[in-house]
Amino acid sequence: MNRTWTIVALLAAALAAGCATKKGFEKPGFAFGCPIGDARVSSMEDLVKLKVVSEGKRTTIAPTEMRCTMTGDLLKIDTNLNNDSSRVKRIAYKFRWMDREGMRAWEEEAWKPLLMYENSNITVSAVSPTNKAVDYRLILMSQE
Amino acid sequence: MIESSRARLLALLPLLAAVALAAGCATPDKTRYGDAKGIETVTNQFGSTDLQMIAESMTRSMLQAPVIISGNLPIVTVQEVKNKTSEYIDTRAITDSIRAELQKGGKVRFAVDAAAMKQQVEELERQQSVYYDKEEAAQKGKLVGAQYRMEGSITSIVKQVKDVKDVYYKFNLQLWNIRNGLLEWSDEQEIRKTTTKG
Repeated sequence: MNRTWTIVALLAAALAAGCATKKGFEKPGFAFGCPIGDARVSSMEDLVKLKVVSEGKRTTIAPTEMRCTMTGDLLKIDTNLNNDSSRVKRIAYKFRWMDREGMRAWEEEAWKPLLMYENSNITVSAVSPTNKAVDYRLILMSQE
Repeated sequence: MIESSRARLLALLPLLAAVALAAGCATPDKTRYGDAKGIETVTNQFGSTDLQMIAESMTRSMLQAPVIISGNLPIVTVQEVKNKTSEYIDTRAITDSIRAELQKGGKVRFAVDAAAMKQQVEELERQQSVYYDKEEAAQKGKLVGAQYRMEGSITSIVKQVKDVKDVYYKFNLQLWNIRNGLLEWSDEQEIRKTTTKG
């Protein structure tokens, strides 16, 4: 009897492992912890494309990774920015927060200047200003 | 006689031409609206971008403090942010921005602070005068005291050589528990600005 249950449990575990995507067991509508709505996100590249917007002068600084988590009822975002050029780059960034209906959940943030040394990575962190903000965009602009 | 006037006029011609040219080239002052949230780098003194960055980062950091996350709507009073820099900075503008952001987020309540106490007392006393309906008027002795006080400081280090001026600001904000004197939350924001002549 015990052996039968062990085999059933092992089979269930194997099935679960086989069905698991590379995102792991993630809530529907989320990828890498970040809200994605109905968008199809199958890789980090897709997520970055979905969440990063360029405004004003374009920058060559590329977000390479983005992960989200909840801190209390607020959304916390960590974005890794990469400067792979051999020059110091100056950029500005801000986050834009949206509510469940896709409307602005908060007023426009101030642009924040950022200096990036040549061949360097920086992690930019942000926390949503209110629990009404359930989605976001990272806006980048060159300051060169 | 006519010859001498003509000669004088000829002599004045270059001057008249220069005046006409200058008048033609002078452009009138132009005023345009700008982006209030844009990056301002007119000088390296404390500016609007610094104020906005400090207010935003302090607010977002404070929202993650356990006393705020607990969801008990803590009551806070704003105390002084000491300006320890060599320049004039309206530190009240910084705390006002922080307070406005926190209040809008709906996670913190603010009790009347020392700076606004005079107006609060005056209004209470006015309502207690013979001109007001005693039933409707605000009663004395009903003010709610704060559980936490917010205070901080801003310091700067300025270094200058011939063509380079470097300014470093450090803004520190703290949230103290009034009842037991414990420091419940504290954070810092650093800003460096360098100006090079030419």
